[in-house]
Amino acid sequence: MKQAVILAAGEGQRLRPFTLTKPKVMLSIADKPILQYVVESLAQNGIRHIVIVVGYRREQVFDYMGAGEQFGVEIVYITQEKQLGTAHALSQVKDVVEDEFLVLPGDNLIEADTIAQFVAMKPNAVLVKKVDDTARYGVVLTEKGVVKDIVEKPKEAKGNIVNTGIYAFSREIFDFVGAELDIPDVLNGMLAQGHAISAQETDGIWLDVVYPWDILNLNDAILHRIPASLGGTIEAGASVKGLVSVGKDTVIRSNSYIVGPVVIGEDCDIGPNVHLLPSTSIGDNVVISPFSEIKNSVIGDDVSIGPGSIMQDSVIDDGCVMKGHFTACSGEAEVKVDGEYHLVNVGAMLGVGCKLGSSVVAQAGAIIGNYSQIQALKLISGKLPDRSFVV
Amino acid sequence: MCGIVGYIGDKQAQSILLNCLRRLEYRGYDSCGIAVAVGGIKVYKDAVRVEALGKISPRFKGTTGIGHTRWATHGEPSQVNAHPHLDCTGKIAVVHNGVISNYQELKRRLASEGHNFVSETDTEVIPHLIGKYYDGSLEKAVEAALRDVEGSYAIIVLIAGEPKLVAARKDSPLIIGTGDRENFIASDVPAILDYTGRVIYLEDGDIGVVTKHDIKIRRDGIEVAREEHEILWSVEEAQKAGYEHFMLKEIHEQPRVIRNTLGEYTRETEPVVDLTVMRDAGVESMLMVACGTSYHAALIGRYIVEELLRIPARVEIASEFNYYSYTLARTVALAITQSGETADTLKAMKRLGEAGCRVIAITNVVGSTASRIANQTIYTRAGPEISVAATKSLVAQLMVLYWLAMSYSKADARQLASLLVELRQLPSKVQQVLDDEAKIMEYAKYLSGYEDVFFIGRGINFPVALEGALKLKEISYIHAEAYAAGEMKHGPFALLGSDTPVIAIVAKDNTYEAMLTNIKEIKARGSPVIALAEEGDEAIEELADWVITVPQVDAIFSPVVNTVALQLLAYYTAKERGCPIDFPRNLAKSVTVE
Repeated sequence: MKQAVILAAGEGQRLRPFTLTKPKVMLSIADKPILQYVVESLAQNGIRHIVIVVGYRREQVFDYMGAGEQFGVEIVYITQEKQLGTAHALSQVKDVVEDEFLVLPGDNLIEADTIAQFVAMKPNAVLVKKVDDTARYGVVLTEKGVVKDIVEKPKEAKGNIVNTGIYAFSREIFDFVGAELDIPDVLNGMLAQGHAISAQETDGIWLDVVYPWDILNLNDAILHRIPASLGGTIEAGASVKGLVSVGKDTVIRSNSYIVGPVVIGEDCDIGPNVHLLPSTSIGDNVVISPFSEIKNSVIGDDVSIGPGSIMQDSVIDDGCVMKGHFTACSGEAEVKVDGEYHLVNVGAMLGVGCKLGSSVVAQAGAIIGNYSQIQALKLISGKLPDRSFVV
Repeated sequence: MCGIVGYIGDKQAQSILLNCLRRLEYRGYDSCGIAVAVGGIKVYKDAVRVEALGKISPRFKGTTGIGHTRWATHGEPSQVNAHPHLDCTGKIAVVHNGVISNYQELKRRLASEGHNFVSETDTEVIPHLIGKYYDGSLEKAVEAALRDVEGSYAIIVLIAGEPKLVAARKDSPLIIGTGDRENFIASDVPAILDYTGRVIYLEDGDIGVVTKHDIKIRRDGIEVAREEHEILWSVEEAQKAGYEHFMLKEIHEQPRVIRNTLGEYTRETEPVVDLTVMRDAGVESMLMVACGTSYHAALIGRYIVEELLRIPARVEIASEFNYYSYTLARTVALAITQSGETADTLKAMKRLGEAGCRVIAITNVVGSTASRIANQTIYTRAGPEISVAATKSLVAQLMVLYWLAMSYSKADARQLASLLVELRQLPSKVQQVLDDEAKIMEYAKYLSGYEDVFFIGRGINFPVALEGALKLKEISYIHAEAYAAGEMKHGPFALLGSDTPVIAIVAKDNTYEAMLTNIKEIKARGSPVIALAEEGDEAIEELADWVITVPQVDAIFSPVVNTVALQLLAYYTAKERGCPIDFPRNLAKSVTVE
């Protein structure tokens, strides 16, 4: 198998505010979009001919992935105008795929090991994995490595083996898509007609991101696997311990104390006297001013953090500016997404381009919409819509 | 990045190689060259673009050859540094994309063994190594040579006397295209799609031996099988990375270009360019010369320089400047040219140099003529710009001007500190403009129905109006004129009416009140007004018919976000009108004649 199709058209509504300006596949984990991990895993398994189905905010994918050269692959883009479902996305690539090909979700974190065995599978096949909580997934009922049935999001647990959304298909699949919108329905249709679909189980990394705080889990999982490296300057008197990766032209100033796993991007200016704790990712062109402490958080590109700020279990998107003494401590919070309440331990979530005056305090679970402006000394809780103006 | 290509078959190789190289120019175009086997090996190469090489090179009669197009990041593009490179005997020719990291050590060793080197490139060690190991079998010699080499490469080797090409790759792309009694090798698929749609992707470590009739791929000395793929997509799609036009791709590259150019110059470890001249007590004024879009960068630069350096600045169109008789010998002169080859700008630079000016060039092409004439050169990091309509190169030039003015600024510490914070945010602000392009598409649809459009601006945004009008006219063929807003009543008012929309650039600076008055005057004459304004500006929402909003930035940076918005407006208007956006009629990318 030498060709792969990555489905990357979806928006990821439950991940707002982070998916207002980018598709779900471009969410940054450890300073790289999720999609890049999928592409790199394919390249490591010798699959260099990649078709990416794009749709929502596709320019973000074009701008970052380009023609694939810097990732050692060749990318062809196909646009799915309306994101109707995975089978509909698949039907868009009919004219560009070869006799046999892989299909992968672009918004799941997939490591090279996870698919190392599967790339040799003969079509039609599905990669499955054991999970503790099956509620989010399609449960796959198998018998001796052959699929019997796929049950989407079962109310009662019928098994603990779920569909990873990674498939090996032949062109024959297009005969079965018909009016179906999702791939599991297509497969159930094939089973009903007596066609065999094999299942292979993996114990490699396969992580899904559904809610904003999932970003923190993925970040933590990946950071532990990134080797330490130094592309910038660490001034005398700064301490760097554990797995810490520092990008090109970044400066870590005196008396900063960094405990890995931590990834810091390019052209950043950190410190003096900044404390970074596990598991934290920092984007490119970020300024972190003195006496700030950041723990288990994800910071985007072009962010400017004023002096004396504290961030724990928080996600800060690109281009945010905090004047100083911004506080986002972690705590247990009930967060409402899509009409459902979730009890989670988080700090704050900030969309792109937010501007915060000095001494703003965000309560645990606060979600601040994109391009919001908040004046000094405000206490923020709950969910603020995009372009909020707090005076 | 460079592009390489090879051909072996029955047809004349030269024209095929040149055609393939043209398709690879998106990878770089500061120099290029070809080698063809005609009994011996004939090479023709120079620091020119592929089209020019095609015109000036002699005709080589031969059906086997290789070619290269280069984008230098280190070392100057010159005839001697251009590829292909030869060994001592002149019988082995090599084209290479990548970087040989241990070339200095190899070069020393080979030189001590009596090999003669003529260029400064890393590549030249490869033909010499192959020559050293050659013992009747080219592929074995290539295998042996590559064992000595560290770094990244995609290479194609041509030898006199053996009817074959040998190709190898490691960490740089390379494909083989299979034809009927002919075969191709290239950096990417689109380069050869005019000739064949069947390709083999080489893997790292593969060595391909290609003759007219067959292709053998070896790995560690053992032959391996590689699948052939049928290419089902069309030419150029890949090079444009999903976009329909290079122009839109390049517009979208701008946040990254800003980060790269700033990152290059704001790092603190050591200054990239030593501009001690800027600190000289004698510098009392600055002169800037440029043409086209670069001239608009210079006009914006005047406001930046006067505001931050507190010295008078003068800006001249290079072609007109050459008719002026007096030059100021104690001035620092900035010459701005994307290609570094603009004839009028080069001539102005020479005159300024002769008059005793210190000339600083701002250019996008390493080692271009401008960089050789100038006392000092500052490079923009925009990468190759393919679209004839310049976009990212202007923004990169502005970044250099901001950096230059802020580095030697006489502005007070408070102003500088807040500007530095804003400068860091600029990539995200530009991204915000790009993320809002759906709205600009609507205005473009509206604008595409008109044949005459005015652009007006004041202060630092007057040059932005000039640039907006230039972009619109050059790609959409709509007659567009830009005026300093205060000049409208001195004539152009006579042309206003319901069929001449006016695009007004409104910045929240000391020009704001005057602009509102201008817009009212224009509305009174019946022209529809599209305002380009900061978000949250409610006064303008009431006044204008349409408002394109851009994010709030300090007035000194407003040209960046406003220019990007106007680039998108021009692009989508031209697209609406079905124009050939990347290659507008009668225009060329770099103007090398006066």
